[in-house]
Amino acid sequence: MDTITRRQFLKATGAGAIGAAATSLTFEDIANAAITRPLPLGTPILVVVTLYGGNDGLNTVVPVTDSIYQSMRPGIAYNQSEVLPLGEELYLNGSMTGMHELWGKKQVAIVRGVGYPNSDRSHFSSMAIWQSAILGAAKTGWLGRWVETQPEDPMLAIGLGSVLPPLLAGEKRSGSVLPLGGLKVPIGSLASDCMKLSIASRSDNLLQSMAARSMRNLFTVSSDITPVLKAPAPAAPDLPTAVGGNAGGDNNLTQQLDIVAKLVAAGAPTRVWSVSLGGFDTHADEKGAQSILLGVVSQSISKFMSQMRATNRAKDVVVLVYSEFGRRVKGNASEGTDHGTSGPVFVIGEKVKGGFYGEQPSLRQLKNDDLAVTSDFRDIYATLLEKILGTQADRVLGNWQGRLPLFN
Amino acid sequence: MADVAERRAIARLTHRFGFGPRPGEFSNLLNLGFTKAAENLLTSPLTDSFADKQQPPAVSDQGPRPRANSAQIVPYATEKRAQLTELLFWWLDRMVLSEHPLRERMTWFWHGHWATSYQKVDDALPMFRQNQTLRKHALGNFGEMSKAMVNDGALIYWLDGQSNTVKAPNENLSRELMELFVLGVNRYTESDVRETAKALTGYKVNKTSGDVTFNPKQHYTMPVSFLGTTGVYDGNSLSDFLVARPDCALFITERLWYRFISSSEPLADRSLTNAFATRDIAKLIKAVGTSAAMQDEKYAMVKSPVDWFVSVCKALQITPSQFPNTALIRNNLNLLGQVPFFPPNVGGWPADQAWLSTSSAQYRIDFAERLVKVGNLSPIADVRATARMDALANWLGVVEWSDRTKMALRGAQKDPARMTLLAICSPEYIVSA
Repeated sequence: MDTITRRQFLKATGAGAIGAAATSLTFEDIANAAITRPLPLGTPILVVVTLYGGNDGLNTVVPVTDSIYQSMRPGIAYNQSEVLPLGEELYLNGSMTGMHELWGKKQVAIVRGVGYPNSDRSHFSSMAIWQSAILGAAKTGWLGRWVETQPEDPMLAIGLGSVLPPLLAGEKRSGSVLPLGGLKVPIGSLASDCMKLSIASRSDNLLQSMAARSMRNLFTVSSDITPVLKAPAPAAPDLPTAVGGNAGGDNNLTQQLDIVAKLVAAGAPTRVWSVSLGGFDTHADEKGAQSILLGVVSQSISKFMSQMRATNRAKDVVVLVYSEFGRRVKGNASEGTDHGTSGPVFVIGEKVKGGFYGEQPSLRQLKNDDLAVTSDFRDIYATLLEKILGTQADRVLGNWQGRLPLFN
Repeated sequence: MADVAERRAIARLTHRFGFGPRPGEFSNLLNLGFTKAAENLLTSPLTDSFADKQQPPAVSDQGPRPRANSAQIVPYATEKRAQLTELLFWWLDRMVLSEHPLRERMTWFWHGHWATSYQKVDDALPMFRQNQTLRKHALGNFGEMSKAMVNDGALIYWLDGQSNTVKAPNENLSRELMELFVLGVNRYTESDVRETAKALTGYKVNKTSGDVTFNPKQHYTMPVSFLGTTGVYDGNSLSDFLVARPDCALFITERLWYRFISSSEPLADRSLTNAFATRDIAKLIKAVGTSAAMQDEKYAMVKSPVDWFVSVCKALQITPSQFPNTALIRNNLNLLGQVPFFPPNVGGWPADQAWLSTSSAQYRIDFAERLVKVGNLSPIADVRATARMDALANWLGVVEWSDRTKMALRGAQKDPARMTLLAICSPEYIVSA
């Protein structure tokens, strides 16, 4: 799946306009921008980064020194000179230098062996489980359900792209979607005519009422956001040049996070952001491709955290990085790996108590050639809901007991 | 005159199974009544006054990509873009202009089912050949279709089948064959995925032509065990085995239900699978289109961007390839998140709520403005202003306007272009009620 990557898919849906529109406003303009309800400093913000396709966890957090790792992955295994030490005989993929630096500052939690019981190896089923936090058929996403616990506000949770990510889908109310090119609202009489169309009607069925609402939100969200999008992205002054975040090679995740950075900096009343990168379904020729993608993830997040430091929000922002499953331990003939089970999840931020959580699945105790699941992803979600979003987890996840001490 | 319930059922027929009505067609269908309208829209005659005469798209085998910076690269890349555009507009034209819409509608359904993207295939000819295969079998026997598809160059290439060898099988194709194409998720075990991958070894694809060859030396010739059977299998016999399973009838019925009846409510009538006993697709689609669910108010669906675009073109008599700026069409479909030949992944496109974001609301209005400018608006322009609201509903095949939309339309009734724009962006048109 996903060989037209999520990234390319998003790229095709309106990227590019950002750079072109970048310089027309001053800082004063942003200060005067139509953010009428700025988020108070100190309010926690969650940024969810979804890696589509099934990221190979074993080549992300790598047990380089394990002889079984080496013997099971000819052509795909890394050697020790290519990776970055984390401790406990684990190493970070060599392309993730920015992430490694944050790890050194104890701002990265790596939860190991994350999954759920009876791993589903279908991209779609497994991603649906991760995005809904329900094992079984689900119509809503975990953060969409969270949106429904909050007072109605179209700015509350925003996904970047053109299509609503399932994690933001609620039953009656969902998060908003912001295209990378920003929203261009109708003006003049067309605007007033369209506003008439966006009024709820008693005769609407559920989908029709959602259609009307999406048009209504177009007007609300865009009047808040559009001036901010025209502003330049916050600078990342303390970004080490070695990370190369400013050295071109722009990519879509960087663009998405740039927009998030702008809006967070401007005080958008948004508590949840959803961004994504695709292309992780590396059945063939994995090593180079995955390393480029992980480099993008690391570089764009490290740039984003630097931007946050420049805007007094670094203490507020927490970034979650996950994928729908890890991959098989043994490589296949095409120098790739097939669908597997558990993988590492990253939680990043100044609030975070850096270090490892959960057991590293043992290569000596594989189940049907696959890694064991040693941590449940709902422990992470429950913790984020309570510590970052300030909402009792049972309102979103039902009766789920597990928590992790991820935060200071 | 049809009551609201019959009007709804007939609107569903034309929008869901036929890309919406041409000018005047909806009124004719109402006069026929549901039963005859269904007979009319759910069968596909052998001849078609447009499709039979349409010239095939100018796509050809371009051979391997020339080296970067070589003299040949620019003409190669230019030609490549032209072929893709040609193919895309060939199909959009066919969707809009075919005299009988069902075959193209089903080809479009199957494209989302066996979802293969140009993004990786990267050559127009294999994509066109796959499209022709889907069209040929669109209303035929599913077993024949499935066999043709396991031998389809674009599909095999898309799912790494060409690098699936006897020494280390690659499971991508075998998994999706069972999960997404024939049986449905979890109707097999992980061991079945691994075993059937072996049966699919030995296929080689010529990437630029889509030609597939079978290399017996790279094929696993020992018996494989899956789903309670043990034997030596290849792609064809594997396909036959899977298609014969009862789960295949259930799964394909579920998929038709999902795309034609409801993407949010599960299959409510398992007896529909009986119509698929012989794997006859035409019979099953007819059963779905005439089922009791067609009358049930709760089964609303959102039109996907392509469904919306094609239905607007049909009503406004716009020929996509003749549009003043074809790049604008492709760009707008892209912004709305759905371009034929570019499904986002092998699971095909999303449904319902995914198309109802703030972002789609904006792009839909923008796109509608462009389409209305070139469309033929005579079905309402030619009637007096006060009669336009009803004429509009009949022209576009809308069940009934809400008070909200009536108010918006009334304000614009002196301006046919504005009125049309509002109508095609209204919740009543975006959603097939």
